[in-house]
Amino acid sequence: MRKISTKDIEYIAMGSTVLGTGGGGDPYIGKLLAKEAIHKYGDVSLIAAKELKDDALVVSIAAFGAPMILVEKLFSGEEFKRAFDMMEAYLGKKIEAIIPAEAGGLNGVIPFAVAARKKVPLVDADGMGRAFPRLEMTTFTLHGIPVSPITQADEKGNKNIYHTIDNTWGETLVGATTIQMGGSCAIGCYPMSGAQVKKAAVHGIVTYAETLGKAIIDAKAKNQNPIDSLIEKAAAIKLFTGKISNVTLKTEGRWNKGVCEISGLEKNIDSQMTLDFQNEFLMAKKDGKPVAITPDLIVLIDAENAQPITAETIQYGTRVVVLAMKADAQWRTSEGVKLGGPEKFGYKEKYLPVEELNKNNKDVL
Amino acid sequence: MYYKIGVDVGGTNTDAVLVSHGNNILAKTKQSTTLDVSSGIETAIKKVLLDANIPKEEIKYIMLGTTHCTNALVERKELNKIGAIRIGLPASSAIPPMIDFPEDLKKLLGNHVYMVHGGYEFDGRLISPLNEKEVKDCLLKMSGEIESLAITGIFSKTLPDQELQVAIWAKEVLGAAVKVSCSHQVGGLGLLERENAAILNAALQGVALKMVKAFKETVHRLELSSQLFIGQNDGTLMSLEQAQDFPVLTISSGPTNSIRGAGALSQVDSGIVIDVGGTTSDGGVLVNFFPRESTQAAQIGGVLTNFRMPDVVTIGIGGGTIVRFKEDKCQLGPDSVGYLLKEKGISFGGFTLTLSDFFLANDQLQIENILEKNNLKERIQVISGRNFQNALELVKEQIQLSIEKLVDKLKTDPKEIPVIACGGGAFLLPKKIAGASRVLFPEHLEVANAFGACIAQISSEDEKIVNTLQNDEKKELEKLLSNVKIELLKKGASEDSINVLTKESIPLAYLPGAVKLKVKLCGDLIS
Repeated sequence: MRKISTKDIEYIAMGSTVLGTGGGGDPYIGKLLAKEAIHKYGDVSLIAAKELKDDALVVSIAAFGAPMILVEKLFSGEEFKRAFDMMEAYLGKKIEAIIPAEAGGLNGVIPFAVAARKKVPLVDADGMGRAFPRLEMTTFTLHGIPVSPITQADEKGNKNIYHTIDNTWGETLVGATTIQMGGSCAIGCYPMSGAQVKKAAVHGIVTYAETLGKAIIDAKAKNQNPIDSLIEKAAAIKLFTGKISNVTLKTEGRWNKGVCEISGLEKNIDSQMTLDFQNEFLMAKKDGKPVAITPDLIVLIDAENAQPITAETIQYGTRVVVLAMKADAQWRTSEGVKLGGPEKFGYKEKYLPVEELNKNNKDVL
Repeated sequence: MYYKIGVDVGGTNTDAVLVSHGNNILAKTKQSTTLDVSSGIETAIKKVLLDANIPKEEIKYIMLGTTHCTNALVERKELNKIGAIRIGLPASSAIPPMIDFPEDLKKLLGNHVYMVHGGYEFDGRLISPLNEKEVKDCLLKMSGEIESLAITGIFSKTLPDQELQVAIWAKEVLGAAVKVSCSHQVGGLGLLERENAAILNAALQGVALKMVKAFKETVHRLELSSQLFIGQNDGTLMSLEQAQDFPVLTISSGPTNSIRGAGALSQVDSGIVIDVGGTTSDGGVLVNFFPRESTQAAQIGGVLTNFRMPDVVTIGIGGGTIVRFKEDKCQLGPDSVGYLLKEKGISFGGFTLTLSDFFLANDQLQIENILEKNNLKERIQVISGRNFQNALELVKEQIQLSIEKLVDKLKTDPKEIPVIACGGGAFLLPKKIAGASRVLFPEHLEVANAFGACIAQISSEDEKIVNTLQNDEKKELEKLLSNVKIELLKKGASEDSINVLTKESIPLAYLPGAVKLKVKLCGDLIS
């Protein structure tokens, strides 16, 4: 167990942007929320899953909604408390710890605000090890843990509880009512036991996010190369160096879909890279051949300031570095690939691990 | 036949041009920026009037681009005492106003910050109604203690009426003299950034008032009866009344004026503009006569805003850049003697080797009262420890490398495009640049910024979110377009000159049916 202060939140928020792999919502708002809550209610205890009692009740608390709404209709903080309180009341049991559902993006930092307010520890683990666009895309689902009951609350005081037949229906139903709530809300979900957390979560991910954030921020402060520092700490593969030459973006259903084209520079001067994204970056192809595929992580970094770039803010002409990181081992099973792999997103390419795809490429390893 | 005067106040120089209504430059000048700013403006205008010998009554417009507001903010000087009201409870309370301001600015501005009930959902439903008593209680607490009030409502870009209602109450409670700054008029979607813009705007309203007064008095002293305008950061003009109400929109108008001015001088509609000054070179991109806007959130005085700022990349190469030699390499800057060139540069009897010294010695730049050329070359050889030609080659090589890197960074595709040089230090730029189809050195390039200030165009823009499940998207977009057009005509644009710069509808992720509409128009000032 250790205490997380507002300074640590800066690092974790930066790391969450890396793990957001282009999606997950901008952690800026989440960071402000978490810092303000810690400032008001005190530091948060971060605990390892093994510190949990096997019968402890652990719940995920998350922000749910459209990125555009989250930056205009800011959270009141009450919605998270309500989602938390409802879960306790409904299950008739005290929540002993909060676990982030998604360490990438906004939801990597938001749980700190609730943990500070409710004075419960936060588990150093999550259900994705990255960001994904749907609530059912978790390692919890892979282990057969139901997302339900889901508690939902908005800033006005409206509340809902869901029992869904499976985890996919959780996303579908909560998504529908969220629009009526004004496009954003807080949810409590995946109530589980300490024993389940130990088995089904991606462990150490908050500390990992902090390490990644630190690698970037501290290297910058010391005038060292932040991207090299990130690559080292993340054990990332440098896939490509180049300049964004085109972006096509369309919104299909609920998702921003698009392709980002990058013309090579330096070692990659004769090559092209394309990144397919649906909120998150899902597939990187070099000269038409896949070099990284979801659920492995694809991270786009601004070469100038080492800031991870989200899919919504891709800008022509930016010099970038594309990194890939291995997904948690649970995603690399056949069940994991079925839930978070390329076919789930409608791509015909088959999943191959990133180290496999790049084993003959001496430039990148 | 009529004439215009464009004035650009920069950190070092105050430039002015006098142009015919057909945009021919008849006179130009560069004067030092004075501490009081006004006397520098006065000297500059006097000089061009004298040189062009045009009767004063034929000067129909005077346009001013100025850094008054930027400086006030950076130096935290002369800022108004302000209050801030956010309308949106119960939403948003977890992140109060000014939460991410730099501490010193928060101390200065953050004494009267309130959140009240109100605000809208994205589709126009109420989050909660306004409560008159609650708002007036807040206003009473500010009574006598503030000069300007910033008002920000959730989704006020879609429905501004609550902000406007609070503004009316503010005048009732605080008196008609209090200035108001409504967020829907100064920023785009994104509550915090828009609120920040409204707060900075409120803080600058006092400076703006003084600036406008000084400008008017200067013009009056010169016995000119011209119509006056202030340049804003998208390259278009606003009236003095608008400038007093929305001073924050003048921030960063300098680079914009240079980019537009350089384009107009060289009659190129799209390309890269490099403005070389004393300390830095600022590169920007001209797209259809307007600067390309940055998509990154703009920090102003340490505060995050969502302004349309020109996308400018700066490198440390200017006339005053200090040159050092190490082994067989030369290093340019990044430090510069800046405006002290004429004290510190070795050409002027100083002891610092600057880029200007090389170009003076090589006859590529002429300034009066400098060291004799051979003498200067001799000094350069002593300081650099190598013969002059060799030193000059190394310097030019470094400039070439830096500039080509800058050009490449600004380009969005490999196609070669024109590069336009401007600014007082343009002599530094190479005649050939990799990636450039040609390098243009238009006549009057040293006053491109002042010339840019007097391209008489005005603009209007707006954006909002609509729910297309309830409303017809096309009709909503047309409605927005026609509102923006009415606004533009009100500002004084001639109807047949109106041009659509932006007309877009972007569907929003995770929100089926919701679409963000954005419209921006520009037009010529009626003449």
